[in-house]
This record gives sequence, structure tokens and C-alpha cells, in this order.
Amino acid sequence: MSYRKLSVEERIALTKFEVYGDPHIKIDVEKCRKCSIKPCVYSCPAGLYQIDETGNIKFTYEGCLECGTCRIVCPLNVVRWDYPPGGFGVIYRFG
Amino acid sequence: MSGEFDVIVVGAGPAGLSTAYFLAKKGFSVVVLERGSEPGSKNVFGGRVYSYVLDKNMPGWRMDAPIERWVRREGLSILCHDGSSINLQYIINRSSDGYDSFTTFLTEFLKWFSYKVEEAGGTIATRVKVDKLIFEGGRAVGVEAGGEILRSDYVVIAEGANTLLLEKHGLRCRPKPEDISVGVKEVIKLKKETIDERFSLEDDEGVAYFILYPRLGGGGFIYTMREYVSIGVVYRPSFSLNIEARDVIEELRTHPQILKLVRDGVLVEYSAHMIREAGYRDFMEKPYGVGYLVVGDAAGLLINTGFTVRGVDIAIESGRIAAEAIEKAGTPDDLSIYRKLLEENHVISKLEKFKKTPNILSNNRLYTYYPEILCKIFSKTYTVEEELYTLRESIHESVGGLTSLIKIFLELVRAVSSL
Repeated sequence: MSYRKLSVEERIALTKFEVYGDPHIKIDVEKCRKCSIKPCVYSCPAGLYQIDETGNIKFTYEGCLECGTCRIVCPLNVVRWDYPPGGFGVIYRFG
Repeated sequence: MSGEFDVIVVGAGPAGLSTAYFLAKKGFSVVVLERGSEPGSKNVFGGRVYSYVLDKNMPGWRMDAPIERWVRREGLSILCHDGSSINLQYIINRSSDGYDSFTTFLTEFLKWFSYKVEEAGGTIATRVKVDKLIFEGGRAVGVEAGGEILRSDYVVIAEGANTLLLEKHGLRCRPKPEDISVGVKEVIKLKKETIDERFSLEDDEGVAYFILYPRLGGGGFIYTMREYVSIGVVYRPSFSLNIEARDVIEELRTHPQILKLVRDGVLVEYSAHMIREAGYRDFMEKPYGVGYLVVGDAAGLLINTGFTVRGVDIAIESGRIAAEAIEKAGTPDDLSIYRKLLEENHVISKLEKFKKTPNILSNNRLYTYYPEILCKIFSKTYTVEEELYTLRESIHESVGGLTSLIKIFLELVRAVSSL
């Protein structure tokens, strides 16, 4: 096992997913612009929320671990969160 | 009867499967709808189950349940910045009867549990995501999934900590950020002999460690499985962490004392799950309505005692009680007996007993300041240099003066008195 810290991408790559075509999480980037604290960026365990050069939230759903944290911590309540359709999304083999 | 089944259970987690199992045993026709591709494929937990609940309700369960190891070492470990650690262990003698808890993988455990449901006559339907509940005149009469409507006399909601359905129907509010924590976990594959040697274990013995490390902004844990070690961190997104959530687990894994335990292992899975931390305050005052019941995490039935988190056993217990409630009520019109039975079975009083614990656990200093001070005290006490410190001097210097010492004392008194 590595002595160096593994990036979240390296770790997510080990978890099994059946990715669905449409995202199960939708955010309103325009509203996110007004958010000064953006807790989604530092509290998502999969690191799916990032801030790009222009200060906008950049978001991907493919590596979502389905914990639901972003939905709870969003101060503006603009994270439209649903589970992926049956059988899709993360598939935990150990849990 | 209004539908194909007497009871629809939403979610094949511990609470949902337990409800279905006990209902099927009583002769009800029951179907469990699970959005995952298999029961357990969406579930994550720390690593242990307390066995009393199975002993009491499922005779013979030890014959085929997926038990990884029996917990024989309970440990508290404080990790220090300089790579040192402070450890306290409670080693349970093999000859004692204290087979209290075992480690397992939740996915495996729930697969086993779902076979038990099927053996008892229940049905499990996977890859079915319930989109909403169907109410007619205030009465729950079924569910809608993928555009199809399935009707039943009773609906049992076992959707887990993330209460999307209950919130959609206004039966529960979205939790506040300060009332949740997030558990992240890595499962690391190692040889059985290697695990036995590194943790001083024999045969089916296992460990459960609780870890404090100032850098994590929360508590950590280690559980040993037969050929795997699970390490995890439970962090509070509401604390202003000086580390990104995605990195906390690697901070733990690469601490020199943890690295020693898992080196040469192969990481096989990274997972995350939300935990509702408000305890009694989060418990639904009325976990029932006309035609429906709420069980397990969804109802707020989870106990965090500070040292141990009790989720699976309470979930199973609430499922068993829900089944009994449906049988005794005899009609979906009045299910208030469910709450009465939760009271009679001491589930609610257990929650109430620990109602002040969340206040202590939401104190950031518990995870950062105190472990740091202990590290300093131990380091000063055991470091032999020209300068010699008495214990009193070590404490005094680590804490930084009398005022801080008094502050700490008061905070500890307050904490202990509410435990």
C-alpha cells in the first residue's frame, strides 16, 4: 500500500459504478455564484465540486458516492438531489 | 386487500429487511423494494454488529451469517502530529462469554439477511427506486416507482439516513448541516496471518479501534475483517476543517502508526455515508401515520453513545417492532401502537438516555484540542532530556497556564455530567 497519499480520483477508480446517462444531481451555477462559502467544495468526500478559473462551480456526478452531504450543507438549498434510477450509480461491494 | 402485497417496504437495509423478515414469519405477504442492484449495494457502515439483537430474535443465525471476526480488542488511540500515538486497549479474555459484537461487511450481511427474508416467504425486488408514496385522503396506499403504481395495505419507509421520500411528502425536514456527519471508509486487503500478527489476534478474534487525531476534524475507526482491514473517519462538514473532506481518510492512513498496520495492503474500495448525529432530537415524534410506519435511520433511530455508534442493531430492533405493530394493530387506520411498542421495548428510552451526547460530540475541541494536549503531556513525561519534567510541570506547560487549566476542567466537568 502506498506510503504517499492517494488522490481522490485514484480511490474513486477502485469503487464500482454503473453510471447513468443523466445526472442525478443538478445545481444552479448562477445561484452558486452568489454563495460566498461554497461548503460543497470542501465537504464532498468524492471531491466532485470544484471552483474553476472564473469562480464558477464545476461539477461532475459520475463518481458520486451517494452520501447526500452536498444537499444538506448547501446554504442556498440549490442542490437538486435525487438518487440515480434503480440499479444505477455506486455499487458497493463491501460496504 | 387492496393490492398484490399486504406490505410494501421501501429499502433493503437492516431496518427494511428486518421488518420484512418478521412480517413474513407472521404470515404477511411482503415485498421489499430496493434501488440498488442487490441488497446492500448502497449501504455503508463502520464494520460491526452487536449480536444481542440477533441472539434474541433469530435463533440459529450464527450457523450461516457472514461473521468476519469477533471483536476481542476494543481500543482507543490518539494519534499525534509527530507520528507518535497514545493507546488504551481493553482485551477481552477468550474464555469469557462476551461475544458481544462481530465485524462484517454490510453488503454481505444484508445479502444474507435478504436470503432469510426470502426463506421466510418475503419477496425482494431490486433495481426499483421508489419515487414517491401514494396517499389517498391522507392514507398511504402504496408507492410509485418508475411510473408504475404498486398498492398495499401498509407502507414501511426504511429509506435510511438520507430521507428524500419523507422530505418530499413533508413528513420530515431536511437536517441541518450541524446535525450530520459523514463517514468515509477505505477497505484494505491483507493476508489473514498478517492481520493476526500486526494486531495480536488469533483465529476469529478481531479489533475495533476508536481513533482521535487532531488533523481529522472528527473521530476515526479501524475494524479488522478476516482478510481485510477497514479504516474510516467520521467528520463534521460543519466544522471548519483545515483539510478537504476528500483527503481526511488518507491523512489517517498515512499516519506512521496506521501505515504500520496496513502497509503492503491493497486498497479495494472507498466509500462514504451520511450519519444523522442529533440523536433523540432527531427522532420522529410520530414515526407512523395512517397506513405507514417509519423504521431505522429514516426515523432517527440511531444511538451514538460517544464511544460506540449503534445503527444496525437498533434498525433491526425497530423492524421487528414495526412487524409486531402491524400484526397487533390489525388495521392500517391506527398504527400508534408502533410508538407504544418502541417505548415498551426501551428503544426510545435508550435514545433519550443519550440525548445530551450530541452536544458534547459537536464540540470541535474534543477532536482537536484535547488529543493535542494529551500528546504534549505524554511527550514531555516520557522524553528524557537534561531538563526533567514532573507530571505536574508537563501538564502545566502543555495546557499553557492556570486559566486554561481551569477552563478545561470546567469543560470536562460539563461534558462528564451530561454523558
